[in-house]
Amino acid sequence: MYSINQRFSTVANQSLSYGLLIIAIIVGTSYYQLQSSNAFNNLITIGNINPTFAIRTSRYYGSTNGKPKENVKLTFDLDTDLTSLFNWNTKQVFVYLVAEYKGQKHPAISNTVTFWDKIITTKKDAILHLVNEKGKYNVWDLEDKFQNRDLEFSLHWNLQPWVGPLIYGETVGNTSIVLTKPEKKKKKNTGQEESVKENASVDE
Amino acid sequence: MNLRLELTKLLNLCFVLSSTFMMWKGLSIFANSHSPIVVVLSGSMEPAFQRGDILFLWNRNVESKVGDIVVYEVEGKPIPIVHRVLREHHSEKTNKQFLLTKGDNNAGNDIPLYANRKVYLQKDKDIVGTVKGYFPLLGYVTIWVTENKYAKFALLGFLGLSSLLGDE
Repeated sequence: MYSINQRFSTVANQSLSYGLLIIAIIVGTSYYQLQSSNAFNNLITIGNINPTFAIRTSRYYGSTNGKPKENVKLTFDLDTDLTSLFNWNTKQVFVYLVAEYKGQKHPAISNTVTFWDKIITTKKDAILHLVNEKGKYNVWDLEDKFQNRDLEFSLHWNLQPWVGPLIYGETVGNTSIVLTKPEKKKKKNTGQEESVKENASVDE
Repeated sequence: MNLRLELTKLLNLCFVLSSTFMMWKGLSIFANSHSPIVVVLSGSMEPAFQRGDILFLWNRNVESKVGDIVVYEVEGKPIPIVHRVLREHHSEKTNKQFLLTKGDNNAGNDIPLYANRKVYLQKDKDIVGTVKGYFPLLGYVTIWVTENKYAKFALLGFLGLSSLLGDE
């Protein structure tokens, strides 16, 4: 009556159902902890965003068939405190600075691009105070040109748990800029300056 | 030796195999993905995912967001890749979406991995699913089974023997 098979299946069933129960408790309590520490409404300030432009012809910088592609890189300031995201089921937090903008030739196209990201694994690294931080990525658009777009910046995060569902969120406090070349470069090339001004007036 | 009893055991074995298969296919339809559960094989998303972690996928979303971790397939390569979406471009008129991905632990983006000199992935064609849930390390069983020649036969033999020899 009590064969090895039966004993084995009983033990397996028990451990599976208790395991699922424990996972459910872990997921539930850690999510409640996030809610109660107001982790979904962390404040942020982004500022001092300075773009630099470069023309690239390599496939690894978005160019197809050697057509020139305008690449943008940024420096920026950023201040936020994400310590509330760290509780006992947090394995890592991935933060990423994204910009949203519309297409210029085709306004029906919506774009979201990442300029900078960071993997945070400990609570003490979760206070971000960045001054003149360099963006990690050269960013290009579907179109060849990237200048004179309206970019709306926001900081998002993705919480990776030790076990359970991935949790996504956004910090509060967005910043918008128009991508334009810095003053110095404009003076060197007067032709470019005019075209930039023209575009700006059309946008307005 | 009772023939009827032996045949019943064989029937039981078939029942177990077919119900497992049905579960898998049912999950596949539910998540709208041909492989709704995948095991991480590389370290390109460390420390988020390590080799052997189990990921649960969902593919009923029309668009991916930046920051989503997606699984995609490259033409001509048998192993799907788990990476994060770095950029997305989508049109409101057509339902097309272009994605650029990157592994958290890699220095550069995935353009060198894409097939046919493409510089973007397409959501509807290339994406197998978006990672929704995570369970650590349990997938090492399948890595062991697929990468060890004899493990597969040992496992199959053990399952077959135990269900045939076990008394009901």
